[in-house]
Amino acid sequence: MDEEEHLHRFGTPLEPLEKDEVPAKKPLSIEDQIVKDENGKRRFHGAFTGGFSAGFWNTVGSLEGWTPQNFKSSRGEKAAAVQQRPEDFMDKEDLGEFGIAPQGIRTRDEFAKDSEKEQRTGLRKRKLMQPQVDGPIPGVPVLEQLLRPVRDKVAVRILKSMGWKPGQGVGPRQTRKEKRQTTARNKREQYLLEHYGNEGLPSSSRADDTGDDDDDEEEDEDITFAPDDYEPMFYTPKENRFGMSYSGLSRAPVLSKASTPGTAMQHINLFGQLETEAKKKQLSIRGQAFGVGAFEEEDDDIYARDDMTRYDFSLADKQPKKKKVEHVQQRHVIDGFSEDKSNSTHTQPYTIDLPRDFQPRNWLQRRSRFAPMDAQRVRKLEQAQEHKMSGLGRHDLNPEQRAELLGEVQPTKKNPFKSASSVRNQQERSKSLLDLISSKSDNFTKGGLITATGEEQLASTPAMVELSKELQQSNASILEQAAAKTKNLASTTPSSGFKPFLADEAKQQRYEQFLNAKLKDDEEITKFLADLQPVTLSLWDREMEKKEFIQAAKIYRPLAGLMLDRFVSEATVQAEQQQEQIKPAEQKKIVMIRTKNMWKPNALLCKRYNIAEPFGGALPDPEKELKGKPKMSIFDYLETSINSKANFQTPNIIPKHLEVPHKPKLAPDQHKVPAEPPHKPEEQSFNTVEPSNKTAIAVEPPAIKSNFVPKTPLELAVDASRDQPISEKTDLFKSIFDDSDEETGAATSAVEEEPQQTAAEKLAAMQAALGIPITASAAAANVLRNNSPPRGLFAALFKPSEEQPAAAVPAKFAPIEGNKLKIAYKSREERLKNDKELAMAEIPSEELYGPKLPSQMKQASSANDSKQSDEANIDAKLQQLWQQHAPTKRKAEHWVERTMSSSEDTVDSDEDSSDSSDSASSKAKRAKVKKSHKKFSVKKVKKSKQKTKKKSKKTEKHKHKSRKKKSRH
Amino acid sequence: MPEYLNFNCSKTIDCKQGAVRAVRYNVDGTYCMSCGSDKKVKLWNPASGLLLKTYGGHADEVTDAAGSCDSSYIVSSSLDKSIIYWDVSTGTPVRRLRSHAGGVRCVCFNEDSSIAISGGRDNAVMCWDIRTRRLDPVQVMKEAKDCITAVLTNEHKIYAASLDGCVRHYDIRVGEMTCDKVGEPITYLAQTQDEQCLVAGCQDSTVRLIDCETGGLLNEYKGHQADDYHIECGILQSDAHIVAGSSDGYAFVWDLVEAKVLQRIRISDNGGVVHSLATHPKRQELLFARRRDMYVFTTDLQIEEEQL
Repeated sequence: MDEEEHLHRFGTPLEPLEKDEVPAKKPLSIEDQIVKDENGKRRFHGAFTGGFSAGFWNTVGSLEGWTPQNFKSSRGEKAAAVQQRPEDFMDKEDLGEFGIAPQGIRTRDEFAKDSEKEQRTGLRKRKLMQPQVDGPIPGVPVLEQLLRPVRDKVAVRILKSMGWKPGQGVGPRQTRKEKRQTTARNKREQYLLEHYGNEGLPSSSRADDTGDDDDDEEEDEDITFAPDDYEPMFYTPKENRFGMSYSGLSRAPVLSKASTPGTAMQHINLFGQLETEAKKKQLSIRGQAFGVGAFEEEDDDIYARDDMTRYDFSLADKQPKKKKVEHVQQRHVIDGFSEDKSNSTHTQPYTIDLPRDFQPRNWLQRRSRFAPMDAQRVRKLEQAQEHKMSGLGRHDLNPEQRAELLGEVQPTKKNPFKSASSVRNQQERSKSLLDLISSKSDNFTKGGLITATGEEQLASTPAMVELSKELQQSNASILEQAAAKTKNLASTTPSSGFKPFLADEAKQQRYEQFLNAKLKDDEEITKFLADLQPVTLSLWDREMEKKEFIQAAKIYRPLAGLMLDRFVSEATVQAEQQQEQIKPAEQKKIVMIRTKNMWKPNALLCKRYNIAEPFGGALPDPEKELKGKPKMSIFDYLETSINSKANFQTPNIIPKHLEVPHKPKLAPDQHKVPAEPPHKPEEQSFNTVEPSNKTAIAVEPPAIKSNFVPKTPLELAVDASRDQPISEKTDLFKSIFDDSDEETGAATSAVEEEPQQTAAEKLAAMQAALGIPITASAAAANVLRNNSPPRGLFAALFKPSEEQPAAAVPAKFAPIEGNKLKIAYKSREERLKNDKELAMAEIPSEELYGPKLPSQMKQASSANDSKQSDEANIDAKLQQLWQQHAPTKRKAEHWVERTMSSSEDTVDSDEDSSDSSDSASSKAKRAKVKKSHKKFSVKKVKKSKQKTKKKSKKTEKHKHKSRKKKSRH
Repeated sequence: MPEYLNFNCSKTIDCKQGAVRAVRYNVDGTYCMSCGSDKKVKLWNPASGLLLKTYGGHADEVTDAAGSCDSSYIVSSSLDKSIIYWDVSTGTPVRRLRSHAGGVRCVCFNEDSSIAISGGRDNAVMCWDIRTRRLDPVQVMKEAKDCITAVLTNEHKIYAASLDGCVRHYDIRVGEMTCDKVGEPITYLAQTQDEQCLVAGCQDSTVRLIDCETGGLLNEYKGHQADDYHIECGILQSDAHIVAGSSDGYAFVWDLVEAKVLQRIRISDNGGVVHSLATHPKRQELLFARRRDMYVFTTDLQIEEEQL
C-alpha cells in the first residue's frame, strides 16, 4: 500500500479481470468498429443505406420505413400550409458548432463594435483617443471593454443631429482649396507623429504652407466639403516646471482608497503641508470597504489623521449659494448649453526650454545597429576625434605652411626617399602618359571608339576622321610605351602601373610619391602626406586623401607587384630545391639506438619454430595476466600497473609541505644521516618489484620531481595502502571517513614522526643500547614499529632482511608496511595542511584565523626543528622504544575501549592483520597520550601499551629478549 | 668478389590486374606471384611469362604474398584486414585469417611454413599457426608505434620493420625483443643470405645496412628516390649487391661494401614508380613491378647473347 502511494499513475487502468472470465483476446476487427455520434447512434452506414443516416434515424429500408408526414384534413380542420425551412431538412449536427448552419450565441453587430473589430484586426483607428488612466492599474479598464452602450453617446447623437455623418470630420464645411490644405497639413502631422512619437513633436510647428499651391481651377466658393475625419493631436499643457515628461512623486494615495485627493482617508500624506487649500473642501466620509450594514452608522476611519482644517471655525455657511442658471441663448451655443466660463484652459502653459541643438527623436522607434549614422552625429564624432588625429592645433601646419606663414624662402622640395632626378623622371613619364590617356579618354567620352572598326564608324565626318587619326597615333605611342614598360616589368616602380587619381594630377603625383615611399605606419603616412599636400587642403580632405591612398595602394597594386607575389622564377625554385637537398644530407646523421626488452614468445610459436621455450617458459607473461582477469577490480588494476610494466618509472612523490621541513635539517650538519622523505616507501615498493630501476633512493632525481604533480594527502594515503590487504586498510578508511575522533591523535603521531627521523643518531644510540640492530634510516626504523611478519609479496622480500643484521640491508629494502601505516596516519595531518594551503606554513601563527592551537601542538606543527622540539621528540621516541621492549603489564585506561573495539572488528577477518592494525591504532593513541603527558605519564602509557594483546610469536620473543637485555642493564 | 654483370630485361609481363602491388618469387624462384590492386594474386612462370593461376577472394587490394616452402600453399595479405592461405593447385582459399584491426601490409612464412607472420597497419605483428585450424593468432606483437611495413623471419627470429623508424627483432630463442631505432621510417626490410645483416629501405631515399648482432649501421646506399612511396629493396643472392627501386622509373644496384652505384637499371622509358622488387633466391635475377607490369631482369641474357 505504501508503495502504491508513491506511484504515479498515467492513463486509465484496465478493468480488473474476473476470475472466471476469459479475456477477449481478439481486437475488434475493422468492420466491427462503428463510428458513433454523441448519442451513441451509428453515424455511418453501409453504402446500401445511403452512407449517412437516411431518414428518421436511419429508418430508410427498415420496417418502419421512411414514414411521410401524415396527411390530415377535415372540413373543420384544413391542412395548414406548412412553411418549410431549410432547418427542417438539416440534421442536428448541421446546426452544431461545426455544421453548415451553426447556431450559437454571439454578440450582435451593434454591440460587437469597434473594440471587437480592433481586437480582430489589431488596428485601432483612434490611437490617440485612448482613455486616460490615472489609477494605479495601467491599461484600459476592463469594464469599459466589456460593457458597450446600446445607443450612441450623446455627443454623437448631437453631432448627428447637426448633420454629421460617421466617417466625416468635425468642423465647418470647407471649400475645395481649404480642404486640400488641411489634408496636407494633417498628413504632415500624421507623419510627424509617426516619426517623433506623441510627445516629441518639434515645438516649432512649421508655418502652414499658405500659398504654395494656387490651383489654376478656381472652384466655386459655394461648393463645400465636409472636413476629413482625422485624429487631431491632443497636447497636454505643461502645468508644472518639471523637466520634460517628468512627474514628481505621485499624490495619489496608495494605501487608502480615497478617490478624491484631500479626503481623510490618506494614512500617509506626503504633501500634508502643501495641500491645505485642497482640504478646505468639506469633509465627506463615504462608504467603507466592508462591514457597514444598511442601518448602521459608519465608523470613523480610525486611522484617519485629524487636523484643524477639518473643523469649522465659524458658523457661516461655507458653500456659496448657487447662482441661478441663466438660460440665455448664446450665439454659438446650442440651445440648452452654456459657454464654459472656467478659465482652466486659458492658463498659460509653461514653456519648455529646449537645448539649442536638441534633435527630436522617437525613442520608441528602434533603430538598427547597421543603419548609417545620421550626418550630424558623424560630424560631431569626427570633430571630437579630430584632435586625436592631428594633435593640437599647432601640428596642423607642416613646415612648409609654417614657412609660408613666416615668409621664409622655401627650399627646393626634396623627397627624402628618392633622388630628385628619379622623381622628375617619374613625373615626366607619368605626365606624358597622363596626357595621352586623358586625350584618349576625351575621345572615348565623345563616343568614339578606339578600335579599328570604330574608325570606320567615325569616318562619316571629317572632324571625326582627324580625331581618329590623332587617336591612332596616340594609340601607337601608348602601345610603344607599354611595350617598353613591359620589357622591364620586374624592375619598374610600382607607380608605373595603375593610376587611380587621374582626374586630379597633383593628387596622382602625391599618390605616386606615397607609393614610392612605401610607408607602413599610419602616423608616418599622415606625416609624409602632410608634407606633400597643399595648404589649401582642409584637414578633412587630407584625412580622406590618406585613406584613399591607402585603399588605392591596396587595390591598384601594379601588375608587377601582383606577379611578384604569385610567381617565382624557376631558377629560384631550383636553387631552393638544391639547397633543401643539400641541407638534409648534412643533417642526416643516423644514430642507431638499440634497446632490449623482455619478450615472451608463445609456447606454440616456439614449438613451431622448433625451439625450446626461453627459460623453460618461466618468463612472465604480461598478456596472459591481462587476459586472464575478466573481472576488473580497482585493486587488480593497481597491482597490474605496478607489476606489468617492465619499464615503469615511479614518479617521486614529494608533496611540498612535507619536503619543507627536511631542507633546513640537511643544511646545518652534513654528516648527519639525511632524513628520508616520507614518500620513500612508495618508491621502494616499486623498486622491489622492478629491480632494474636503479635510481638511488636517497638522491631524488630532480627531473622526475619537476614534472610530477603533487598528490593530495588522501591520494598519498591511498597509494600507501594499495598493497595492503583490506583488513589493514581500516586506517585508511578511518582517515577518510573518520573525522573527529582520531584527528588530534593522528596529527600528533604524524608530527611526532618527523623529528623521529631527524634524530636518527640519537635513536641509533638508543637502539644500540637496547640491542636492536641499528638501521640507517627512519624508514628502517619503522620496521621496529611493525610487529607483524611480512606476508604476501613482501614475505619473500623482507623475511631474509629481517633475519639478517639490518645494518647490512640497503635502505631500499626497508619494509613497507610500517611505512604505509605511517603514511596512512599522516594523511589526516596532511589533509589539514593542505586545506590551509601550503604557503600558510610561513604565516605567523598570530595571523592565522581560527581557534588557537595548543601550544605543544603548534610547536610541533610549525615544522621548525629547533633543538628543543627535537629533543622532546627524541624523548618521546625513546619512551616508545622503552615501552616496546619493556616488560608488559595490563592496565585499563580511559581510551582503551576504543582500541579494543577496533581490534575486535578486525579480529574476525584476519588475525595477522588485526594484529597490525591493532598495534597501529594503539600506536596512534600512544603518541597522543605521550604528547599530552609527555613528562610524567610514561608509566601509564607503558601499561596501556600492554593492552595490545595479540602479537606474533616472533615479536613476543623479541620483546622477551629486549626485556632480558633491559634487566641486564 | 664476383664480377658485376649488368642486368638486362629478359621479360616484360603485363599482369592485367591493375597496379601491381608486389611481386614475389616462390621459395626456389621457379615461379613468381604478383599481387594486384584488383584483389587478386596471380601465379606466373617468370621465365616464360605464362600465367599459371589466379587466386581471387580478397576483398581489397592484395599487398603481399608468400609461397610456402613446398610451394603448395600461398599466403597473401590484403588491405581487407585479412590473410588468405591458398591452395596453389586448386586455387581455393584454405583459410582466411582475420584478426588485424587494419589493412595487412606484409606477410611471410617461417622456414617450414608452419607459421605465417603478418604485419599490418594496426601496428601489430601477428603469428598465425597454419598447421592447425586455429583462427586467432598464436602471438601478437604490438610494440610498434606505427604501421608495420615488412616482416621477415629466420630460424629463430622475427624481424618487423615499421614506419616508426624501428626494426624490431623478436628473438624466440632468447625471449627478447630488440628494437633498433633508425629514426627514419622504414619501408622495407630484406635479409642477407648469411642472416647477419638487414637491408632496410628508408623513407629518406636511403637504403641502410644494419648489423643484426650489434644493431650498428654498416652502410648507407643512396641515389634513388623514395619520395613518399613504399619502395622495396633487396639483396642479391650473392650478398654482394643491394638493389632498390626508385620513384623515377629506375632501379639501382649498389655494391654492398663500397656503397657505389653499379647500375642504374632503366625499367621503363615511361617513368612510373618501381616500388616492388624481388630477388631470385638462387640466381642473379630480379623481378620488378612498375605500374601494371612485371619485369624480369637477368644477367644471364647477356651471357646468352655472348654465347650466341
